[in-house]
Amino acid sequence: MKWMPTCRDATELASRAMDERLPLSSRMALRFHLAICENCTRFNQQLQEMRRLFREETAADNDTTGLAPEARQRIATELQKKLGS
Amino acid sequence: MSTLDANSWLADHGDYLFRVARRQLHSDELAEDAVQETLLAALTAQARYVGDASPRTWLTGILKHKIVDLIRRNVREVEIPRDEEGEEAVDSLFKQDGHWAEPLRPWGNPQAEAEMGQLRRVLDQCADRLKPVMAQVFSLREVAGMETEEICKELNITPTNCWVLLHRARLFMRQCLELNGFSKAGAA
Repeated sequence: MKWMPTCRDATELASRAMDERLPLSSRMALRFHLAICENCTRFNQQLQEMRRLFREETAADNDTTGLAPEARQRIATELQKKLGS
Repeated sequence: MSTLDANSWLADHGDYLFRVARRQLHSDELAEDAVQETLLAALTAQARYVGDASPRTWLTGILKHKIVDLIRRNVREVEIPRDEEGEEAVDSLFKQDGHWAEPLRPWGNPQAEAEMGQLRRVLDQCADRLKPVMAQVFSLREVAGMETEEICKELNITPTNCWVLLHRARLFMRQCLELNGFSKAGAA
């Protein structure tokens, strides 16, 4: 990677940094780029915002959907079969 | 100490397990399969239940494995999609010289601005718009919080492919959220 990554390269690094610790050279390259690039700084913040929203939303469990009646019946039947065997 | 009563599992935890599975599998049908397989596996395994976790936590632990099994079975070969979510779609987000094609708009405070139900709908819609493999890898990482190493191993994909999938999924998710009211300018 060139010493100064393009925005496209920087999004790749920012994404990967969400998953693992980057090697020092990549970390520096990303930091240089973010220091001068408003869009990529925003991208980086929004990646973290997305993660937070997805995890909080899931933990909140304010979802009221559930199994469809047919699916519930099907599963109940399978369980009974197994319980009876 | 908790005790198990297999007869009440479906009534007490069926909907909950379905919702957890639905959010990671992005398919009602697969989520139903996951619930069924979880409860059947739980019947077999109930002798090993020691009662230090609540039945729901115990069942959710089994569900997690079933979800990964189902994804694995469903995507026999995980290929990097070549069509509209492939390289070309990423190309369209950037100029030739690697700069963003469009400036990114700041997000408002989606939590304050949207009802929780609305927020869930937008998150779900955007995740559903991704290709299934991409949505599932994204969800295992961002929703379930699995480590990429674990995801790669379970789905038998190379770390490089995993990063490419996650990078694209994040680019597309971000764009979709912005187009659906996350940006200040577009907020309802």
